[in-house]
Amino acid sequence: MEQVELAAAATDVSLWALFMQAGFIVKLVMLGLLGASVWTWALVIDKAVTFRKAQRQYDHFEQVFWSGQSLEELYRTLAERQNTGLAAIFVAAMREWKKSFERGARSPIGLQMRIDRAMDVTMARESETLEARLSSLATIGSAGPFVGLFGTVVGIMTSFQAIAGSKSTNLAVVAPGIAEALLATAIGLVAAIPAVIAYNKFSGDAGKLNARMEGFADEFSAILSRQIDEKLQPRPQAAQ
Amino acid sequence: MKGSLLTSVAVHVLLLALAMTTLSAPEKFDVADVEALPVDIVPISEITQIQQGDKTAPKAEKAAPVPTKNPKHVENAENMGENDVDLKTPPTPQTRPKDQEVAAAPTPTEKPAPIQDSKPTESKDIVKEDTAPPVPNVKPEPKPPEPKPPTPEPKPPEPKPPEPKPEPKPPEPKPPEPKADTKPAEPPQSETGEIPVPQNVPTPQLRPKPPETKVADAKPTDSKATDQASASKDAKADAKKQEAAKSASSKQSDFNADEVAALLNKTDAKGGGAKRSADKAAFGGKKTTGGSTLSQSEMDALRGQIQKNWSVISGIEGAEGVIIKVTMKLDQNGEIIGQPEVEASGGSDSARRTLQSSALRAVRRSAPFKGLPPDKYDAWSEVVVNFDPSELL
Repeated sequence: MEQVELAAAATDVSLWALFMQAGFIVKLVMLGLLGASVWTWALVIDKAVTFRKAQRQYDHFEQVFWSGQSLEELYRTLAERQNTGLAAIFVAAMREWKKSFERGARSPIGLQMRIDRAMDVTMARESETLEARLSSLATIGSAGPFVGLFGTVVGIMTSFQAIAGSKSTNLAVVAPGIAEALLATAIGLVAAIPAVIAYNKFSGDAGKLNARMEGFADEFSAILSRQIDEKLQPRPQAAQ
Repeated sequence: MKGSLLTSVAVHVLLLALAMTTLSAPEKFDVADVEALPVDIVPISEITQIQQGDKTAPKAEKAAPVPTKNPKHVENAENMGENDVDLKTPPTPQTRPKDQEVAAAPTPTEKPAPIQDSKPTESKDIVKEDTAPPVPNVKPEPKPPEPKPPTPEPKPPEPKPPEPKPEPKPPEPKPPEPKADTKPAEPPQSETGEIPVPQNVPTPQLRPKPPETKVADAKPTDSKATDQASASKDAKADAKKQEAAKSASSKQSDFNADEVAALLNKTDAKGGGAKRSADKAAFGGKKTTGGSTLSQSEMDALRGQIQKNWSVISGIEGAEGVIIKVTMKLDQNGEIIGQPEVEASGGSDSARRTLQSSALRAVRRSAPFKGLPPDKYDAWSEVVVNFDPSELL
């Protein structure tokens, strides 16, 4: 670790000067924390956009779904697209329904179970994409301050070594080293605070969207089970 | 995700650039030169008690004596004045110089000297008269003088031919006296004891008195006559002298030994102390009375000097409650006079003993005490210092 020339650099305490004065480890910590901050804000922007879009799609789909439009028709229009969210669950359930009827389903209970499975799988995949990378926000939020503190401790250590070398305890000699070291903690906090806030916000939003998907899946499952009953009931009667 | 990452990077770069340009070095911390102010806790008695000042000067916020002119500073002086030695006597008034002039005029010494002598002689006369009174009763005063006059005249010259006094008759009393000296046989004269006095030429003063001259005549006769007769004559003469002496003594009754002493003391003595004052005179007492108590910080300074030399051994059992009280007498240089008294109370017996002896050592080692205000010497001439040794542990 190189000795920092404290007394000479004491005149300039602007941000850039502080960064340039810092030791190698402190610089590394600062750069890492800067990267974390960039990543945090990238995620924040990304998630904000994604969630806004997802919410809009859900609203739109529910509107279409409950508009009284034929489910077959809806399925035909949606099947060709890449679907997300509620639409994806709907398409997965309809596909399973279609496949089962094309091959001639024997048991209504088996069919019901298969449809539920298909919907669960799709829902899990959807919620995974919603919550993707939220954990990294949590990590930055909790570890950021510690990383910054580590940089500070190393920086103060270095500056104390320099003080011991300069044999002066003058505040003008001590202050710049400590200011530079504290910059690391400051950057750590700058990265961590938005990360924590964003994590709380987005995990809450993801929970709400998941609940909405589950609710839709249950309702659709109920509708399909009614349909199965209606379609499979006449057959034994007709057969009889 | 890529888009948002790019956005984030862009925003960060932008913010950092903004911070670099706007958040330059923070303004320099201009620390004003603040002078340290010593704060002293002063006892209220310094204000409420009589302070040294001038009794005739107008009132002012701070009592101050009449300013002195002598710039020479004298250590530890308590009394105001221009003196070089600190005396308790009040400064002598400026009329004094006149007295000195009178005393200093030595040229006419001869004249005044006899005057002084005459006075004492007269006083002695009075003494004689005291002894004399019993005698007069016996004597028929008128008779003896008449017959004797002739005889005495011839005799006096015999014994006192050398004496010029007889010519000046006034010295009547004295002429006989010298004779008495020569003639031990005469007890009354010896009693008078005026032996040296007559020689002193007090005669001129007494000259003017005519009656005395007659008496003088009578006396010589007395001396020649029998003891009794002489005694009676002496008594008669004494009576007359007594009158004269009384009149003289009544004039001089305001005799004052101090004045005499003052006259005799020809040294250029000045009264007054040696304490200097530069302030404008303001109302106050002759001396500061109760105001001179050591202030808190002065007491702490004294205590600190002792504590510095006091190595309290830690770990003495039962040392928690021990209170040490040191009573010592100090001289003006801060040296201890006699044996400092150390009392200990509270705590265990052994701890008390240990701390007591260590306190005594500390007190001895810290003498002489520095920094005690000399003008408050009466406050710390005998000082009591209390310690809680557990604070030093």
